[in-house]
Amino acid sequence: MDFITKKEIDLVALLQKSHCPSAGAIVLFSGEVRNHNVGKSVRYLEYEAHASLAAKMIAEILLAARNRWSLSIAHAQHRIGKVKVTESAVVVITASVHRGEAYASNRYIIDRIKHEVPIWKCEHFADGSKEWGGNCNCDKETGDVNKHIYEFESV
Amino acid sequence: MRIQVFAILKDFFKKEFELNAKLYTIADLRTHLSLLNPNATPVLNRCRFAVQDEFVTDEYTLTGNEHIVIIPPSSGG
Repeated sequence: MDFITKKEIDLVALLQKSHCPSAGAIVLFSGEVRNHNVGKSVRYLEYEAHASLAAKMIAEILLAARNRWSLSIAHAQHRIGKVKVTESAVVVITASVHRGEAYASNRYIIDRIKHEVPIWKCEHFADGSKEWGGNCNCDKETGDVNKHIYEFESV
Repeated sequence: MRIQVFAILKDFFKKEFELNAKLYTIADLRTHLSLLNPNATPVLNRCRFAVQDEFVTDEYTLTGNEHIVIIPPSSGG
């Protein structure tokens, strides 16, 4: 599976490929485009990435997840280009013997992708305006662009 | 050196451009770009820099032949 793709993410097909005899739990997270943000109506999002660096980093994050948990499957794919409302912008699939590891590792992977990987969204609003938004701003608290506050650490 | 920028930085600089200034470190480059476009300073101060798909620190020594990528804070997902 390509880590970065211009094509529409086919969640059903990806899930179908993710069944594994040794896994009792599969978690599929789909980050989808919603029709509103900061009180404004959203028409669509446009994603941009430093593709080679982003792919390399996603591979490293997946490997780190596999080293931390016992996983049968750890996949992630992020879409770039124009993504319409209700379409998937990012998918993370994890599978393990029991659900605890599948949930925890899935959250770890999506958190790290959102905070660290060079991918950016530009929001296109219904009023015709656009804005590069939703940036990681952990450095405002940590004082370091390489230090993040992850959700997976607080659960 | 060749500079490539992404996302919001494209509002301040060309997507890719050549820079011939005598700069010794990434910190110098950050300062130089801030002087070229002061409006970009708040973003530049929060950017990571990469050379050949590897992140580098402010102390990284420049030879002048690099392809430097400037990475604003991520907003994927």
